Amino acid sequence: MKRDNPNQLNFATSSSSNKGKMWCEEQDAGGVDELFAVLGYKVKSSDMAEVAQKLEQLEEVMGSAQQDGLSQIASDTVHYNPSDLSSWLESMISELNPLPNFDPFSSVVQDPFLESSTVTSIDSHSHNSLNSHVRPQISAANQQHMVVDSDFGSDLISIPGKAVYPTSQLQPQPQHQPQTKKLKSSSYSGLGNSTTVSWGLPNESISAQPIESPRPMLLVDSQENGIRLVHTLMACAEAVQQQNLKLAEALVKQIGFLAVSQAGAMRKVATYFAEALARRIYKLYPTNPQDRAFTDLLQMHFYETCPYLKFAHFTANQAILEAFAGKSRVHIIDFSMKQGMQWPALLQALALRPGGPPSVRLTGVGPPSHDNIDHLQEVGCRLAQLAETIKVEFDYRGFVANSLADLNASMFDIREGEVVAMNSIFELHQLLARPGSIEKVLQVVSEMKPEILTVVEQEANHNGSVFLDRFTESLHYYSTLFDSLESSGGCDVGGGVVSDQDKVMSEVYLGRQICNVVACEGPDRVERHETLVQWRTRFNSAGFEPVHLGSNAYKQASMLLALFAGGDGYRVEEKDGCLTLGWHTRPLIATSAWKLR
Amino acid sequence: MAKFCINDNVDVLIEVLKRLDDRSLGVAACVCKTWCSLTRNDSFWEHMCFRQLSPPPEGVRAVVVALGGYRRLYICCVKPVREVREFNRVWTRHEMELSLSLFCVDYYERVLLGGGGGSGGGRLGSDSAASASLMLLCKAVNV
Repeated sequence: MKRDNPNQLNFATSSSSNKGKMWCEEQDAGGVDELFAVLGYKVKSSDMAEVAQKLEQLEEVMGSAQQDGLSQIASDTVHYNPSDLSSWLESMISELNPLPNFDPFSSVVQDPFLESSTVTSIDSHSHNSLNSHVRPQISAANQQHMVVDSDFGSDLISIPGKAVYPTSQLQPQPQHQPQTKKLKSSSYSGLGNSTTVSWGLPNESISAQPIESPRPMLLVDSQENGIRLVHTLMACAEAVQQQNLKLAEALVKQIGFLAVSQAGAMRKVATYFAEALARRIYKLYPTNPQDRAFTDLLQMHFYETCPYLKFAHFTANQAILEAFAGKSRVHIIDFSMKQGMQWPALLQALALRPGGPPSVRLTGVGPPSHDNIDHLQEVGCRLAQLAETIKVEFDYRGFVANSLADLNASMFDIREGEVVAMNSIFELHQLLARPGSIEKVLQVVSEMKPEILTVVEQEANHNGSVFLDRFTESLHYYSTLFDSLESSGGCDVGGGVVSDQDKVMSEVYLGRQICNVVACEGPDRVERHETLVQWRTRFNSAGFEPVHLGSNAYKQASMLLALFAGGDGYRVEEKDGCLTLGWHTRPLIATSAWKLR
Repeated sequence: MAKFCINDNVDVLIEVLKRLDDRSLGVAACVCKTWCSLTRNDSFWEHMCFRQLSPPPEGVRAVVVALGGYRRLYICCVKPVREVREFNRVWTRHEMELSLSLFCVDYYERVLLGGGGGSGGGRLGSDSAASASLMLLCKAVNV
């Protein structure tokens, strides 16, 4: 039978007409159903009704077969020709032992299929079986038996079924393209009350299965699961936003299952996001880590594994170096002291600059430490040792502050005749958690009249007021970041081979950020990333104007990236005098430099 | 007539060795003890690093020697950077600057951070720090 009226055979009613439209696929001129073609099947439209009928039967049988029937399927890894769907289903049905309640079906099988015009609508709990159960090769490895809470059974299964297949594109890679973002959240709005239409089986009582029993669902084909995973993540986030915590809870469990079927970056990202969502749902908010030593350690591994931090340091250093040209006394104030990894390279460059090195003062600002070790002072000692080795006059001072907003200009003891540079790597966004902090800090900075202020920040907007927007943005951002981690092999210099340990630690480092963005709120949510454009507005209103990073910085950055294994994927771009480093087409961090007008 | 032995004419030998590439120099080091000690002389490696760059910038030698010597600079930083650019391209000032910066970072990590494992920012390659950090993961960390 030809599907001459696609609307009637939609799997959603007019209550969610958006979804309906997704399903109004024009039929292929060759008579092959286009939806199936997307899955890799060639099913003639004329066979569709028959196929659907058999699928219903298969589903009934499998439902009632419970464990035994399925285990037989599980052990069977024979792959059938997917283009011959009807006979495949036939063989599957016949393989399963005929069960008592299978007999009533046999009469139905022989019934001539009625015209498609007699479509009957079943009540809301009968879900459409077609897309849940039609899958290409079922292999034991990919099979998962998932029992879903019956209240949400229909909704959950309808999520993957509906609105998943965009008209012409299929997303094969686990790497999620920006297009997924475009799917409006409104497509999920009809979840609660969707009515599904089943193929026009004449006998309602057969197709309306006892809905109280949970329906098993087979998950195979990780490619589709990847798409489903993203959609489930989005749906869960939306449920959280709408405070629909029961639905969110069910979805979060489903994410767990789906994530396992993925490999590599997508699995890790999904796991972290699922954990963060779970924390939000169950209100197990993470406290901000007190263990600074561990955080620093994680950042060191991140430093080794991928070039983002090195890029940040080198480009900022280049800007500072150029600002210090010809000056004999310089003072650097670093808001992001940590292990001081940025400064050896700058000290060396100053040591070898034409005309000899200036006398250097470095003031490092850091948070209080909770063990009895003065980390700031230790870092300073090491840098002083280095400076002595390369014969640069060096003076160090460390400042402990809970927040940058606690600082005042007078604390820094700016002396006459010295030129000040201020540096912040991934620190300023944390100030956005408390209102007024960023303005105060910029005020203090301008009071110190720096020659240059170098800022490196994540290039993403994770500070929107709507949770769902933040979630979507951060999902894409961290997916890209994890993708780049997957292919990273560390820097060639120094014989760098990235160990698995390095990678894992880098992932934990990023995982903490994810948790903070998704699960925390209020002053605890410190990972409030904003884009370069947003920062530019802030700096402009605080009285700063941009300093263009020169071509030297660009060349150095490009060379640096080439040294990293997997360097092909990284891209350095120049945008209005600022440099951004990204993975393929997505910029991930941005370096900018500012001075007072 | 005395047989000519190259080892008796060290200045000639040096001139010859100066013209070798890095791999050949390494091979030459395996010939005999004399050659081995000769090739460890940093000036060969200085030549290797800055062969194509003239004149070598002021003051570099002091810094490089302090940070570990030209041989290490070459193996650690110059060679990888050169390999990324095609080998026979002229070695530019930018590449040299990048190599030196990376060399300094390497020194910092190797010498200064390696010893200071107690603060938790220990050298990534050293085993004790590695196992210590992994142990940290076993504890229930509040992510």
